[in-house]
Amino acid sequence: MDLKVQVLAAFLFVVGLLIILTKKNTIILLMGIELLLNAANLSLVGFSNYLGHIDGQVQVIFTITIAAAESAIGLSILVNLYRNFGSIKTDKAVTLKG
Amino acid sequence: MDSFNLLTGLICGVTAVLALLMLFSEQPLSCALSLLGVLLGTAALYGLMGEHFIATVQLVVYAGAIMVLFIFSIMLLNLKHQADHYNSGKIRLVVAGVLGMAVFILLTAALMGYFSSTPQEGIRGQFGRGEIQQLGGNSLVLSHALFTQHYISFEMISLALLVALVGAVVLAKRKFD
Repeated sequence: MDLKVQVLAAFLFVVGLLIILTKKNTIILLMGIELLLNAANLSLVGFSNYLGHIDGQVQVIFTITIAAAESAIGLSILVNLYRNFGSIKTDKAVTLKG
Repeated sequence: MDSFNLLTGLICGVTAVLALLMLFSEQPLSCALSLLGVLLGTAALYGLMGEHFIATVQLVVYAGAIMVLFIFSIMLLNLKHQADHYNSGKIRLVVAGVLGMAVFILLTAALMGYFSSTPQEGIRGQFGRGEIQQLGGNSLVLSHALFTQHYISFEMISLALLVALVGAVVLAKRKFD
């Protein structure tokens, strides 16, 4: 049980990393970030359950709150990106590129 | 106990397959629905581990609120037939895949090494599975820790959430020239 959960958390983390590295659609990038946070949460809860601590779960509540705030800000930035560049492809947002 | 292990393995497998579907799908909406499945599977695992409060928060906040935000913004942007323009180069895919495999193998090896040895005596905390049952359940123990030991952090995080909420509304309403 504990090992299975930790291996699944590692797998979800790697998949989220691959989504961020390979995709060019900004909505899917934000979903990849959510997947990374979710994998970290799963690992924290698994270890706090395995070792008999409660602090890991408190940390997970804070992480879920920050994830909600992050996705709200990220999606409103996304709406502005679409308004200004007419596309949500990451290659279009190159105004700051020197 | 055996059916419990079987159920855990089944949920882990389904969650992993849904994450892979998310990696290989090009449409944002199917990606969002796969992410919803992953979050539901994670909530089920939390429930199986006995962490009922975290499982409920996961269902309400992640699978409820955040997924509604994602699906709402997909609807708002109304992206139709642009799927074929989002492919990245072959070399990039291969390099990312090899790196990802390496990270996964290293993490799994480290985890196997950790779980094959018993943890040292001082590391184990006082809230084992039996002790939590005696103290009145997971929600009681967790809320006690949250409102005594971590009280300041809890208040700070609620303030941060409020600031982020106002910031999101301001950013989305603003017109840049």
